[in-house]
Amino acid sequence: MTNEEIREQIDAIFESAIKHSAVTEHGDLVVHVAVEQFLMLMAYLKQNRDYDFDYLSQITGVDYLEMDPDREFRFDVVYELYSMSKDHHIQIHVGLPEEEPTLPSVYHLWRGADFPERELYDMFGIIVMDHPNMKRLLMPEDWEGHPLLKDYPLTVEEVAFSHNPDHKSELIKTPEDMKVDPWA
Amino acid sequence: MGVTEQGLLERDKDTMTLNMGPQHPSTHGVFRVILEMDGEIVRSAEPDIGFLHTGIEKNAENKRYVHCIPMTDRLDYLSPPQNNLAFCLTTEKLLGVKELPARADYLRVMMCELGRIGSHLVWLGTHALDIGAMTVFLYTWREREMILDLNEMISGVRMMTSYIRIGGVAQDATPEWLDGVRKFVDYFPAKVDEYESLLTNNPIWLDRTRGIGTLTKDEAILWSMSGPILRAAGLDWDWRKKKPYSRYDEFKFDVPTQDHGDIYDRYLVRVEEMRQSREIVKQALDHLPDGPYKIEDNKISLPPRDTLHTSMEALIHHFKLVSDGVKVPKGEAYVPTEGPRGEVGFHIVSDGSNTPYRVKMRAPSFMGIPGMCQIMEGAFISDVVAIIGSVDIVMGEVDR
Repeated sequence: MTNEEIREQIDAIFESAIKHSAVTEHGDLVVHVAVEQFLMLMAYLKQNRDYDFDYLSQITGVDYLEMDPDREFRFDVVYELYSMSKDHHIQIHVGLPEEEPTLPSVYHLWRGADFPERELYDMFGIIVMDHPNMKRLLMPEDWEGHPLLKDYPLTVEEVAFSHNPDHKSELIKTPEDMKVDPWA
Repeated sequence: MGVTEQGLLERDKDTMTLNMGPQHPSTHGVFRVILEMDGEIVRSAEPDIGFLHTGIEKNAENKRYVHCIPMTDRLDYLSPPQNNLAFCLTTEKLLGVKELPARADYLRVMMCELGRIGSHLVWLGTHALDIGAMTVFLYTWREREMILDLNEMISGVRMMTSYIRIGGVAQDATPEWLDGVRKFVDYFPAKVDEYESLLTNNPIWLDRTRGIGTLTKDEAILWSMSGPILRAAGLDWDWRKKKPYSRYDEFKFDVPTQDHGDIYDRYLVRVEEMRQSREIVKQALDHLPDGPYKIEDNKISLPPRDTLHTSMEALIHHFKLVSDGVKVPKGEAYVPTEGPRGEVGFHIVSDGSNTPYRVKMRAPSFMGIPGMCQIMEGAFISDVVAIIGSVDIVMGEVDR
């Protein structure tokens, strides 16, 4: 089955849920899906014997804040799926809004989604529903903020040198907060 | 605490929590795992990572494409050329570079395969050391030293080579380097036999590895394991064969597979891969084409140094490339490559400027850790170090 055939079939079955689908000039199959129908599409891709997308290669989050501020969705989550037996390759994009970005977990379809989904939350603050062990992965558990967001400050300015104390971000700690009692 | 039907005391928890790492020598870096022990048997294993998190992905968003290449070296620091290659292939896909000069591809392949041998040598030495075979470590380090010397000859650096660049390689191979590679290629096969004579039929090695840490084919696919672990479980999957990049289709080599998916099979697969990599290096050396070692499009790669004195355009291109960098067209791309640990790839989103908008590395060790902890459940405590060694994680690319 060629990429073009898969694209046509998915378009026909999921109709309006598919925002955009294309086979790029490099021959990659890329499908943009609405978040409401996302889990159904993923389950269909995994369970349909003709496609047999049994392997999840990776999950990438992208924050489009700086690139295109007027974009409908601020975030895109990109899934790379392969079929080990049929040699297919598909890229699924899900758009998520700035306010409470939430999407369902695919952990019960591909166990390999465990770490990448936790990383999504850790780095972008994207909430992944029904994940069995949702907590921070790379950053410390008490870390504030999500580092790969485009509006995450690259350097933290100490309050003592701030010119506008009303404007301070949540990240800025007062010298009082910085003090740690090692015996506490 | 309650009382059971037999009148025995019932405790809330029958298991003991055992912390392993992040400083344990057999975790190959700063990997921590929290084990729930029932006597000697591991009931559950919870991984804890992030101790080596350096924010390379965030850092890359604020650097030019060329500046990202030395950072990719630091991801999987045991086989840096593979990361350089994956990053450059993805950037070249975005740039629309269709084909590189044959010599550039051959030099890339040689560096990657030498890197794969070097990485497998580190794995074999430390894995055997974890299980208790000290000698192998000393032998493999001896051969790895030769590869590091070759790295130094061609790139000036022993480990973090940054040799593969966008549009080709950093500089041409010298005759001395080619002689050095020839010597290594002739010398190496006998040494692999030597490692095998120490381990393959060694009864202690067999007891410690056979039938232990088994991951079946379906489980390996479900847990997104890649590379030698998939192949040890019986799946013939190698990106060098499935989607040949850098002219891998011009080389003759086998993809070794095994059936059981235990620690011993992963050992056999990797040892055979060292032989196959040596085959590829030998073929590349025998048929190394003449010609340029990078593309001649000076919007992407620097013009030859000697033309700067005579050509105005070359000087302008040189100045623009050094001061401003490569401008990559808007778009996104992902190119999978076959690293020593499995699928290595970069998902790059470009906004049309000279810095990448988003760089995400698909790290085989990162994807492999949940599956590895799955294998540990039900294993003996003494096998945990063997399992970690057999999956061959590198914390640089796990934490990024």
